[in-house]
Parts: sequence; structure tokens; C-alpha cells
Amino acid sequence: MTERSAQVVEEPVADKPAAVRLRDVGKTFRKRRRETTALEGVSLDIAAGEFLCLVGPSGCGKSTLLSILAGFTEADTGEVLVDGRPVTGPGPDRGVLFQTPTLFPWLTTRQNVLYGPRARRALTPDVREEAAELLETVGLAEFADAYPHELSGGMRHRAAFARVLINHPRVLLMDEPFGALDAITRAGMQRFLLELWQRRRTTIVFVTHDVEEATLLGDRVSVLSGRPGRTKAVVDIDLPRPRTYDDTETLAFVTAKRRIREVLER
Amino acid sequence: MSLDTAPSRTVTAVRRRERRQRSWRRLFVGTAALAAALAVWEVAAYAVHDAVTLPTVQETVRQLVHYLAAPYPQVQGKTLVTDALISTGRILAGFALGTVTGLVLGAAMAGVRVIRELADPIVGVMRPLPPIAFIPLLVVWFGIGEASKIALIFFGVLPVVTIATLGALDAVPDEFTHASRSLGASSFHTMLHVRLRAAVPGVVTGMRIAMGGAWTSIVAAEMIAATGGVGFLILQAGNYLQTPLIFSGIAVIAVLGFTFDGLLRLLLRAVDPTARR
Ligand SMILES: Nc1ncnc2c1ncn2[C@@H]1O[C@H](COP(=O)(O)OP(=O)(O)OP(=O)(O)O)[C@@H](O)[C@H]1O
Ligand SMILES: [Mg+2]
Repeated sequence: MTERSAQVVEEPVADKPAAVRLRDVGKTFRKRRRETTALEGVSLDIAAGEFLCLVGPSGCGKSTLLSILAGFTEADTGEVLVDGRPVTGPGPDRGVLFQTPTLFPWLTTRQNVLYGPRARRALTPDVREEAAELLETVGLAEFADAYPHELSGGMRHRAAFARVLINHPRVLLMDEPFGALDAITRAGMQRFLLELWQRRRTTIVFVTHDVEEATLLGDRVSVLSGRPGRTKAVVDIDLPRPRTYDDTETLAFVTAKRRIREVLER
Repeated sequence: MSLDTAPSRTVTAVRRRERRQRSWRRLFVGTAALAAALAVWEVAAYAVHDAVTLPTVQETVRQLVHYLAAPYPQVQGKTLVTDALISTGRILAGFALGTVTGLVLGAAMAGVRVIRELADPIVGVMRPLPPIAFIPLLVVWFGIGEASKIALIFFGVLPVVTIATLGALDAVPDEFTHASRSLGASSFHTMLHVRLRAAVPGVVTGMRIAMGGAWTSIVAAEMIAATGGVGFLILQAGNYLQTPLIFSGIAVIAVLGFTFDGLLRLLLRAVDPTARR
């Protein structure tokens, strides 16, 4: 695909971003004699530390692809490698953010954030301190002891974010995470995500419907075809970093956006 | 990074005060409604002017207080308190057994396909049956002692709690288990701390429904075949046209039923933060 794909398998080091490699991934759902081929021969290389956006028409298998990467669903064919190792199941090295934040309603914000470390028996005073810092970072310090139903939609997203970040995932898998948010909250979340990525350089696979969002966030945008999903094209976004929301008005941005839209509609 | 952060401490404080005001208001309105109902009763009692048909409130209260400690009927009778304790004991024993069994059965049905397929039709047939239909059968099997009463409650509570447990476990969204697993929890930890935990509020709601049914069953059973309990007392009082005592027995059931439902409601609030308002 491109030269930027990381072919070298490095020794995994905790906290370092991981490269992702998909080869001929296919997935067919069988239900009551009806077969739905969601994905067919999808190949994609994502470099360590890259921000890759995934766009495509509804039902083309974006969520399925992410779920395969997360280890919730098994691919029928092909290879799925994270840092050279095949994905066999879910794990904290791949942080997942869903379209709706799935905070546990019986836990407070802080307890939600500490869920991962606690479940892995890695809850140390240092981790608690880090949780407090993370809550501060996502602007929820004062809501640490509130329950999810007491938070606004955007706040829940940020809490879910903190819950994933405390695990120091090497890849972030995000499935239309800001799709349900209003324009202003959404812009705030995009800014937050950009700042975070600028600092941590985690590998990110970001699914979205929104071409503008993909252009603003991604290093590259992978466009999938309609069902069954195949990689139609991968568009490089050569806009300078760090990017802000103001960049959406520049000519370069609009041009990049149009290029993606053309591929989508082709 | 500073997104919108309202000064939450004051927000929470205001909300808490509002909630307290609301609960005081609710208490006040509830008490007023009860007082109004008693006033209607009192007026009706004077209008009817027949203590057997409808005694006055004060006469009822007088007899209630009297028979709390005095046995009825005088020979071989029990006090209201004793009868209340007898009924409560039966309820608690049958309810505890039925709840535990229902929890285990519901969880097993949710987890094991074969058990679900085997138990589904049986529970489905049992649930719409009124438990009191089984009273004669249970008397034949267990006699008129405690065993038949406890068995009756048990068979009433069991299907309700089973179905509530199964439904609550089925309703736990996959996203919860997925989130837990991808945060690094083992599948065992996820089962225990997410799937079962997420089902708890639904189970407690089922327990509340089962508790309501349990009081219906026990009073019916005590009226048909028993030598003690509030139902038995009400029947005796009815046989001797002791209307104030009938009302007293009903009042005792009301208080006990309200208390147990209140306890289960407290339990629900403890396990489900969204129920705290
Ligand atoms: N568990 C499942 N069982 C059967 N079919 C499924 C399942 N999950 C997904 N599919 C099918 O696979 C196809 C791809 O679904 P997927 O959710 O991956 O699409 P998507 O690209 O995420 O769509 P959207 O943009 O609307 O979220 C769809 O046709 C869907 O019906
Ligand atoms: Mg989707």
C-alpha cells in the first residue's frame, strides 16, 4: 500500500504505539440461512503512531472491522496482526471507544476509570494518582464521585476516554465516538483527541461517517466500498500538524475533503 | 485542557437540597392523603351507624391496640403480634428459599443452553398459575403445618425471581462485557463484576414483585388451612362478626407489606444509583 507501513516487527515495549496489519481480512455473518458478507479481502497497514481514519457507506463493515481488531469478533479469513502478533481476543493493549460510552452505571466516574487496573490487580497508589490527573485532564475532576447518569453526554464520552487511557493502550480503536454529540461538544472532543494524540502518539484507528472529521484528524483516510467492504483507496492528508478546528476553512483542507468525497462517491 | 466544568460542588449541594425538599413534600402529601381517607371512613361510619358493618376509626384503633397483646379467640387464641410474627416467618422462609433457588436457576438458564431449553416451558407454564390453586395439594402433601405454607410461598416466588434473573442477565448489553474484557478483565472477572452486577437491579425489582405475591398467597393459605397467622385471625374475626378486628388484621398486613417493600426499595437504591432520586 504505502511505504509508511511498518514492516519491521519491533519488540513490544509497554506504552509504545503498535503497528497494525490487516491482510485479506474477510467476514461473513450467517444467520437463519441468510448470509451477509460484511468484509471481503480487506488489507491495510497502519504504522505505529499513525492516526488512520476509516470512512465508508453505512453497513459496509467498519464496525465489524474494528470489532475484529478489538478481538470481539473473529475474522473468517486473513490475518490480523498487532505489532506482529495475531489478535486472539480482547486486551488492554487495544483501547476501545464505542459510539455510545458504555460506562458501568453502578460505578462512579473514578471507579469506572480505575476498573481496568483493578480488574488486572494493578491498582497502586501511583495509578490512583494518575487517574486523578486524567480526570483533571478530561475536565471531570469535580465529577469524580458522580455516577454516569449524572453526567452529560459529552462528559460520559470523556469519562470513557479516561477509562481507556489509564491502561496506556498501544492502539486506540474508536467507532464513531463523537457521532451522537452536538456540534460544539464534538469540536471540543476533536480538539481534545488531537492534543492527546500530539502528546502520546498512540496509533489510532478512527471510524467516522463524517468526511470533514476524517480530514481534520487523520494522517491517512482509508475509504471502504459498499458491502461487502473492501479498501477502495487510501488518501493521504498532508495538512500540517498540529491541526486545529480553524484549519477546516483553509483551501488545502477543502481540497483534501473533496478528494475523499470523490473516492467515496466513485 | 479545560472543557466545560461547572462548579459541581454547589450544583450537587443544590440538587441534594432540592431532593430533600421533594421527599419532605412527598411525605407531607402522603400523610395528608392517608388522613383524608381516614376522615372519609369516620364520616361513613357515623352515617352507617352500625359497628358490625363499619366500625369507627377510634373503635378499630382501640381493638387493634388491645389485641396486639391480648389473645383472640380468648381460648387457644394468639395475639396479633404473635400472628404477625407467624405470617412473617413463613414469608421470610419461603421468600429466601424461593429467591435463592430462582437466582441459581435463572443464572443457570442464562448460562447453559440445555438448562434454558429444559426449564423454559416448565417456568412458562408455572408462572401464570395462581399459587393459591396449589394450596389443597400442598396440604395433602405437607399437612397444615409450616411446611405447606413455606412451600406455597416458595412456588410463588420461584418463577417470578427466575424469570426476573434470566431477563436481567439476557438484557446486559454486549458492550458492557466487551468493554470489560478490553479493559483487561478476565472473562471470570467480567462474569462476576459486570454481567452479574449489571443484572442485580432487575433481580431486586423481580424480588419486589414476588414479595407482593407472597403476601397474597400466605393470607389465602392461612384462611384455608392454618391454626395461626394474620389470615387465620381475620377469618376467625369474620366468623364472629368482629369487624374492628378484621380491619386490624388488614392494617397489620398493610404495615408489614409496606415495610418489606420499603426494605426492598432501599436495597434497590443501594444497588442501583439511577434509582436514587
Ligand atoms: N452480529 C451480526 N450478525 C449478523 N450480521 C451482522 C452482524 N454485525 C454486522 N452484521 C452485518 O454486517 C454488515 C456490516 O455491519 P457493520 O456494523 O460493520 O457496518 P458499519 O460499516 O459499521 O455501518 P454503520 O456505518 O452504519 O455503523 C451489515 O450488513 C450488518 O447487517
Ligand atoms: Mg458501525
